Amino acid sequence: MSVGGAGGGAKGGYSPQNIMALGIVGGLVGIYLGHYAPPAYSFFGGLGAICATVWGADAVRRVASYGLGTGVPSIGMLSLGMGIIAALFGLAVGGIAGPIVAFIVAAIIGGVIGALSNRVIGMGIPIMEQAMIEISCAGTLVILGLSVVIAGSFNYAAVVQYVVANGYIALIFIIGGMGILHPFNASLGPDEKQDRTLMLAVEKGAIALIITGFASSLHEGLMAAGLNMLIGIVIWYVAFNKHYALIKRDAYAVVGTGLLPSAEELQ
Amino acid sequence: MMDAILGNIIWMIAITIGGALISWSVHFVPVGGAPAAMAQATGIGTGTVQLAAGAGLTGLVSAGFMMNVTDNLALILASGAVGAMIMIAVTMIVGTWVYVYGVGCVPSSAKVKYDPFTKYRQDLYVSQGTEGHGLPTVSFVSGVIGAALGGIGGSLVYYSLIEVGMSVGLQGSGVTNSVTVNALVAVAAIFAIGIFFVNAVIPSYNIGGTIEGFHDPKFKKWPKAVISSLIATLLCAIVAVIAIAQLGGI
Repeated sequence: MSVGGAGGGAKGGYSPQNIMALGIVGGLVGIYLGHYAPPAYSFFGGLGAICATVWGADAVRRVASYGLGTGVPSIGMLSLGMGIIAALFGLAVGGIAGPIVAFIVAAIIGGVIGALSNRVIGMGIPIMEQAMIEISCAGTLVILGLSVVIAGSFNYAAVVQYVVANGYIALIFIIGGMGILHPFNASLGPDEKQDRTLMLAVEKGAIALIITGFASSLHEGLMAAGLNMLIGIVIWYVAFNKHYALIKRDAYAVVGTGLLPSAEELQ
Repeated sequence: MMDAILGNIIWMIAITIGGALISWSVHFVPVGGAPAAMAQATGIGTGTVQLAAGAGLTGLVSAGFMMNVTDNLALILASGAVGAMIMIAVTMIVGTWVYVYGVGCVPSSAKVKYDPFTKYRQDLYVSQGTEGHGLPTVSFVSGVIGAALGGIGGSLVYYSLIEVGMSVGLQGSGVTNSVTVNALVAVAAIFAIGIFFVNAVIPSYNIGGTIEGFHDPKFKKWPKAVISSLIATLLCAIVAVIAIAQLGGI
């Protein structure tokens, strides 16, 4: 657990608006494509979840740079806590507009909690309200996207039966939260760079797609599950290599330490 | 949708009270964060959310187990409270062993000169450059009280959500052999977890990540977090009640 950044706004190459647009458009398009396409194409939901994960990680990065006073993981868990309530509500009442209703409800809950944190608790972070709205919406889209991967649609009955009732929702809760909270938690420090943090988010989102793809074999069959996992593994491989290249770019030197010395060598 | 809200006002109030109890409970739990993990601050060496979630979820499990055999609210709340208390007491006693026998430091508080329970002097044993270490008696007692409140809050939220579902004709408990066991239990549990996380993070921002227990000066700030949690949980309660009432229609 770490206490966060140095107490100032975060800087980076990609503007918050561009990443927000990627998260909202990519997330919603992915979720709808995954819903309408045949079950074999449910990986589109995962692609939407990856876009939303990048957005959430960037919002966490911006707000946690001010120093939350507590660990970065707390805000990721809050994100998924708000997201899960909004996501199931949206699917329950929205029908075909479910993801959009969930998105709006998430924005309301996030805005209220952000305003409470700043006005009542007095955290004094200027972007708290906006960041809470973004984090809550991103958490909602991640949950919906990964649910679409497992259930093949965002129909409330299907999601409750194939995702919630058998407990996969707890899995989504933790791996979705990891994707949002881990990138900044792992990269924070004076040498933190936006592209490296966000590439880590892509990699975490891909791992989430692989795991939910594995879980989807229960309902969608092995072919669809294999496709989900294959796409997840390809994205993970590319993102991991890119992330490693960025680490080598930012590090002073990357050296191998070799294996542990054997007992004879120590004498 | 309005029927669901109007017919379940009593349960929405119960959920809101449960959320506020969880928020209050976090202030009792001795959370040390990263400094405590290095034995440089008093408390358990992890964050509020992890501790509150651990205790609260154990409370949920034990409350859910009790609901299999009875629908007596007092017994269910007591079961949730005891489950959470056992969980946090075990965490704290094992942590104390590690601090005393592993790290080799004396459990001591930097916030008070004398432990209110044992009357032992504290300040002499606080290592230089640290804010206390380990879990002195007062923090242990405070943590157990906090876990009891959190367990009661969590089970109250869960019980209320189950009652909302049962009012629309779903089955609240029971064991079957199929993979997809019981939609209501799962939905109520995941909503309770969501509400639990929201109410564990809000007070954690209020105390700035670390607190020693009810003797810590930061404890006096609890009304702010409880008011925030009341508002936030009311919002979550409305949303959760509508979503669960819709379960009756599918």
